[in-house]
Amino acid sequence: MKVMKRDGCLVSFEISRIVEAVDKAFIAVEGASRKEAALHIGDEVAHATEGMEQVSVEEIQDIVVEHLQSSGYPEVAATYQHYRESRDLERMRRGELYKISRDVIGVSNLDLLRENANLNGESFSGKMSRIGSEYAKWMASKFILPTDLMKSVKDGYVYVHDLDQYALGTTNCIFIPFDRLLAKGFNTGNGSVRPPQSIMTAMALVAIIFQSQQNSQFGGVSGNKIDWDLAPYVGKSFRRHFRKGLVYFAQEDQGEPRSNERVLTDDKLYIDNEQLKETYPHIYHYAYNETVNEVKQAAESLIHNLNTMSSRAGGQIPFTSLNYGMCTSTEGRMVSHALLDATMKGLGGGETPIFPQHIFQCKQGVNQAEGEPNYDLLLKAVECSSRRLYPNFVNVDASFNLVYYNPDDPNTIIATMGCRTRTISDRFGRNRLSGKGNLSFNTINLVRLGIEHGIIEGKRNLPDLSRFYEQLDQYMTIAVEGLIHRYELQAEQPAKASDFMMREGVWEGGEALAPEDKVRELIKHGTLALGFIGLGECLKALTGLHHGEDENSRSLGIEIISHMRQFCNEASERYDLNITLFATPAEGLSGKFTKLDRHTFGVIEGVTDREYYTNSFHIPVYYPMPAYRKIQAEAPFHELCNAGAISYVELDGNARQNTTAFRDIVQFALQQNIGYFSVNHPVDRCPACNYEGIIGSVCPGCGALETAGNFQRLRRVTGYLTGNYTERFNSAKQAEVRDRVKHL
Amino acid sequence: MNVCGYIPESINEGQGLRAVLFVSGCRHACAGCFNVESWDFEAGEPFTEEMSAAILQDIIDNPLLDGLTLCGGDPFFSPEECTAFVRKLRNLCPAKNIWAYTGFTFEALMRQPKLRELAELCDVIVDGKFEEERKDVSLPFRGSSNQRLVDVAASLKRGVTVEYVLR
Repeated sequence: MKVMKRDGCLVSFEISRIVEAVDKAFIAVEGASRKEAALHIGDEVAHATEGMEQVSVEEIQDIVVEHLQSSGYPEVAATYQHYRESRDLERMRRGELYKISRDVIGVSNLDLLRENANLNGESFSGKMSRIGSEYAKWMASKFILPTDLMKSVKDGYVYVHDLDQYALGTTNCIFIPFDRLLAKGFNTGNGSVRPPQSIMTAMALVAIIFQSQQNSQFGGVSGNKIDWDLAPYVGKSFRRHFRKGLVYFAQEDQGEPRSNERVLTDDKLYIDNEQLKETYPHIYHYAYNETVNEVKQAAESLIHNLNTMSSRAGGQIPFTSLNYGMCTSTEGRMVSHALLDATMKGLGGGETPIFPQHIFQCKQGVNQAEGEPNYDLLLKAVECSSRRLYPNFVNVDASFNLVYYNPDDPNTIIATMGCRTRTISDRFGRNRLSGKGNLSFNTINLVRLGIEHGIIEGKRNLPDLSRFYEQLDQYMTIAVEGLIHRYELQAEQPAKASDFMMREGVWEGGEALAPEDKVRELIKHGTLALGFIGLGECLKALTGLHHGEDENSRSLGIEIISHMRQFCNEASERYDLNITLFATPAEGLSGKFTKLDRHTFGVIEGVTDREYYTNSFHIPVYYPMPAYRKIQAEAPFHELCNAGAISYVELDGNARQNTTAFRDIVQFALQQNIGYFSVNHPVDRCPACNYEGIIGSVCPGCGALETAGNFQRLRRVTGYLTGNYTERFNSAKQAEVRDRVKHL
Repeated sequence: MNVCGYIPESINEGQGLRAVLFVSGCRHACAGCFNVESWDFEAGEPFTEEMSAAILQDIIDNPLLDGLTLCGGDPFFSPEECTAFVRKLRNLCPAKNIWAYTGFTFEALMRQPKLRELAELCDVIVDGKFEEERKDVSLPFRGSSNQRLVDVAASLKRGVTVEYVLR
């Protein structure tokens, strides 16, 4: 007879083990060994299981307890039972699940808690969320992931993003059709909301829509043309104020109170109506000023709302983004001005708002040169970014974005999710932004492949590129098949699982689905993205030089990334889905591959000697290089990464005092066909005197010392900002920030 | 002449993106100076022909640069060498502008021919000693409120010191 242990192993039945355990219980209760009684129990077990081929440990223990009780030893039975339970507990403690929870609850693993820089993993709700997410990851990796993919993840070749959402079939991110939702009103699930009648209400509803939507998915939520979306409500506010003005100031303008009110239909009451301004100068003046004030207040409260509604699991604030800058109507421009002004003003204490991510949409003829209608907005955006690190700049003129741009449809103006995600193209024809988003990402560790096939370990004089590409294809295949596997889980979800998103048609067409309908036909318009990390270290490992150091390496880098893009294009054909190439941000992932690779290959200078791998195709942050060269070196990669990419330049200095340089750098990047761009610079703040700028060990404003000053140091991670980076960044990301060299 | 520093791109020493050359040697001895090591005329390394050529090439190559800033030390303690260098740059890149920092007042520069010659090659001069009690971190490109951004061309034209207006 075989006994099956708890771990599934089969061992042969040995009566002596039972006798020994029972005798221990006798010793514990009666103070002395009772070998005979124990032998008797052992015999009973042997007898009870006679003829069975296999028996489990649990069954044996049940028999022991039963016989101890029936033989008049209830106390010994209880002791035996207790011992058994404590052994179970001990076993559980050795298990992975227990370790996960202990690490979270006891804050012993800070990197686990800080995986996401905007989640306070040390708070109660943050821990609660982490426990759930760690369990879901465990579940997915043990039981759901395809075997090949699981092995590649374990071996450090592939990373599955947001693994905790894999089994559930949750989707990633979305561009929200605010225009549609505001115009028709919506239902949050607990109550219905009428279309807003003023900009104040409209902006309040924007926050509520963001909040409702973010629980339908796991990633970012973005407004892709918020100036266009909100302009009509500025118009509505103006009409209201004008009509109010008619009641109070008609005498000043007309002498005849209210006589014309009936004639002034909605279509005549708009801000740009010169005739209105001439006929009713006082009323117009009143209504105009009231409108400007209202937009300003609405924008301020929107930004406060987006930084204070920690409604997301784990005390997280939704990852919100707002794209704007292209709407040239007076109303739309007011929205853009107000959003920038409110961001510059900061939150209650004057501090930099972390959310929303602002993205300024740049287009020649609209906002790029003196004399263009929104050039003032570009200047304001630059000023704002020089103080608050936002907005970033997205390039409508970039060749790969311009092809989608239709001047008559603001929904075709390129926009990004805060992190960089780009989803405009769709093989099923929805070549526009709102109403869809990205579904999931898998990322390839280029560095490991580089080390295995490069010259860095001294195993060969030339990189073995044919093996490199062979392996790359193998892992891309596994990663893309993983995306498809996950897509199948997502596509099988009923509409009711993503509730608000489908019911209200945030995902275009969702409103037509019944709660039990599968979402497959709709989410096919979204993108599946294959990402990559560490091109810099990969090239270093392959050739000895990265793409900042050597032009040949850079050509090889472009070749590798072109190859990956080609692979994605072919996979899109094969699976008839939107499979795109993504320049992966390193958040969460930063450090994970590095640890594994260092374990396998040891510390290799310029490759595994830092705690992190360089973001996507970026030139390593520690490598000194003039800004213009970094921009030129990275530019060609933007076109290749159709799921999104960003380039940064690091500024060393007080950028707010030199916005000319700031603007020139941004415009230079746009001219180089960079799709999405931002400037990093230090924004430190002294809470004692509110000085903002660069603070070393002493505050230049009030002389407070670092030790007493508790300076706040704001930095960027994966495109989003994060509060005090030394508290919220994981260790790899902190190391990366320390290493960032300024390009100026 | 020795130089004790060169930054290919900076946003801190004048408007726009600028190359900055730190010329060794200064006798103003301002209390609270940010760069005391640079007072020594022997600090850093000799400003050789090769270095001069390399820096000029850097500036020519960099499409983002607005110009060059001479910093120090005080470049006006080495006026002849600085004048020669700036003149070369002027000829090679007429579109780039030149800023210079000095502890002398602009009026003092105008009184001494050699200093005046260098000053006249510059677009903007940040003048005056650093005065610790008038330190003001909110002022762009200056340390203390007595220091001025002088618009050289406008000052020469009008015969009085005209301050440069930041755009």
